[in-house]
Amino acid sequence: MATSKETVLHSWHVANGANMALFGNYDMPLWYKTGAKAEHLAVIQGAGIFDTSHMAAVSVQGKGARTLLQRCLSKNIDCCLGQGKSPLVDGRCVYGVYLKTDGTVIDDAIVYQLQAESFMVVVNAGMGGEIAGHLVENGGERTVTVVDLTDRVGKMDIQGPDSARILGKILKNPAAVFERLVYFSCKGGFADLQTSASVELVDGTPLLLSRTGYTGEFGFELFVPIDRLVSVWTMVLEAGREKGVLACGLAARDSLRAGAVLPLSHQDIGPWPFLNNPWPFALPFNDGHSGFSKDFIGAQALLQSNWDKYTLPFAGFDPRKIGAGSDSFVTSETGERLGSILTCTTDMAIGRVDGEIVSVAGNKQFQAKGLCCGFVLLDKQCVPGETVILSDGKRKIKVEIRADVRPDRTARKAMSLMLG
Amino acid sequence: MKELSELNFREGLRYTDDHEWVSESGATLKIGVSDYAQDQMGDIVYVELPEVGATFEKGEEFGTLESVKAVSELYMPIGGEIVAVNEDLADAPELINEDSYTHWIIEIKPADMDELEDLHSVASYRDLLKG
Repeated sequence: MATSKETVLHSWHVANGANMALFGNYDMPLWYKTGAKAEHLAVIQGAGIFDTSHMAAVSVQGKGARTLLQRCLSKNIDCCLGQGKSPLVDGRCVYGVYLKTDGTVIDDAIVYQLQAESFMVVVNAGMGGEIAGHLVENGGERTVTVVDLTDRVGKMDIQGPDSARILGKILKNPAAVFERLVYFSCKGGFADLQTSASVELVDGTPLLLSRTGYTGEFGFELFVPIDRLVSVWTMVLEAGREKGVLACGLAARDSLRAGAVLPLSHQDIGPWPFLNNPWPFALPFNDGHSGFSKDFIGAQALLQSNWDKYTLPFAGFDPRKIGAGSDSFVTSETGERLGSILTCTTDMAIGRVDGEIVSVAGNKQFQAKGLCCGFVLLDKQCVPGETVILSDGKRKIKVEIRADVRPDRTARKAMSLMLG
Repeated sequence: MKELSELNFREGLRYTDDHEWVSESGATLKIGVSDYAQDQMGDIVYVELPEVGATFEKGEEFGTLESVKAVSELYMPIGGEIVAVNEDLADAPELINEDSYTHWIIEIKPADMDELEDLHSVASYRDLLKG
């Protein structure tokens, strides 16, 4: 068995009382002394920071980089930005999945166009080698250099409505950096991961700043030279002290992303066809949804698939949950077996008022007790509003199939609203 | 995660292998979870309590604690009848995280008070955690 790995922030986590556990073969913090609930709420109401350097970056460079990504990624990068679906340009990024030829998922990714012939692909923990190998294998005659940067790029996220106000204190020229830094765009860079602009912290540390994240809330991902990560982490914490910024562990990351209806790769998406799920925007459907606007690996399998299961988000009526283990299952209210549970966690920022889901983000006085939420994989289509039963064989919990879970999310808010 | 030296133990209580504690008060026993248990579970978000008047055998599940991490079953350390449940936990499950010894979960009338002797003292519970 492979020994577990540590990020460069590992000793910081341990020294700060983190409850540690293995995730993607990295020994990572689940929560710190403040607890996962306080961490989750900090991201909704203020800001939280996450060590995400267990994730892997792969650089894809050269004349053939764009066409190789277009061949391998599910998203159509020539037709993806905004209402008009314009091509991906320098300083913008997109979400997509890498599929096998049978249409099943290898991993999901954010692909950054740093410059015309320079891309960065960010994938999940431990997946850098596999995705780099997949790209090389499909490179064909193209002139392209693929480098797995696993454990060579420092990465942390700051998420929550105060993120820009905190980062602004430690950026050189924050006004210029934040200008036109729209959702899913990036600026700056270092070493081989360089956009045309440069972004530096006040101490001169170069960074690639990306307006992305995995919480559904306003914020940034920071890519820095690996040997600078610990100092950047402590600088951000110090800058955020008066705003009450908290270091957050994987438990809060999981509950925040589930409430934002974002999938966890290898759990909510995985070795089954990438179809009938809440993330069709990752596929290059044409305007009429009759087919795809490009060919890519896995496309033919998806178009011909007879996959008849449905991945659906749900939310409960109180915080109770059923673990997503092999013993658990989903039934109709009359006991008919419908499928399995993929994710079940508790979004601690929400509750129900007269049946409607309310978030502390939209109502500061609201005392949220939390609602369980996640994803189920069902043998039949259910529409939002229908209720199903989650069970582990002993306990049963009624949950509602939802189109969305946590209201009043901030990820897409205009930068100007988040700086005042 | 708390180191062994940071964990709170309360003298005079009995402990189980499942990290519950039992305190004696006359003819009844109060039952809760140890500081180690609450620290391992993380934030507790829901407590499922039994009905007053229900009886359970020793080792039988009487309720659950739901934390951000998982659902943990609670087991009867000694068989008996539930005479009271801590209603405060319904509205404020986080009380267990704040002080897991003050905030008891159930009170029982034991079928056989002598079974208390089978449980750990503080010293032997501490040894169990040392592993």
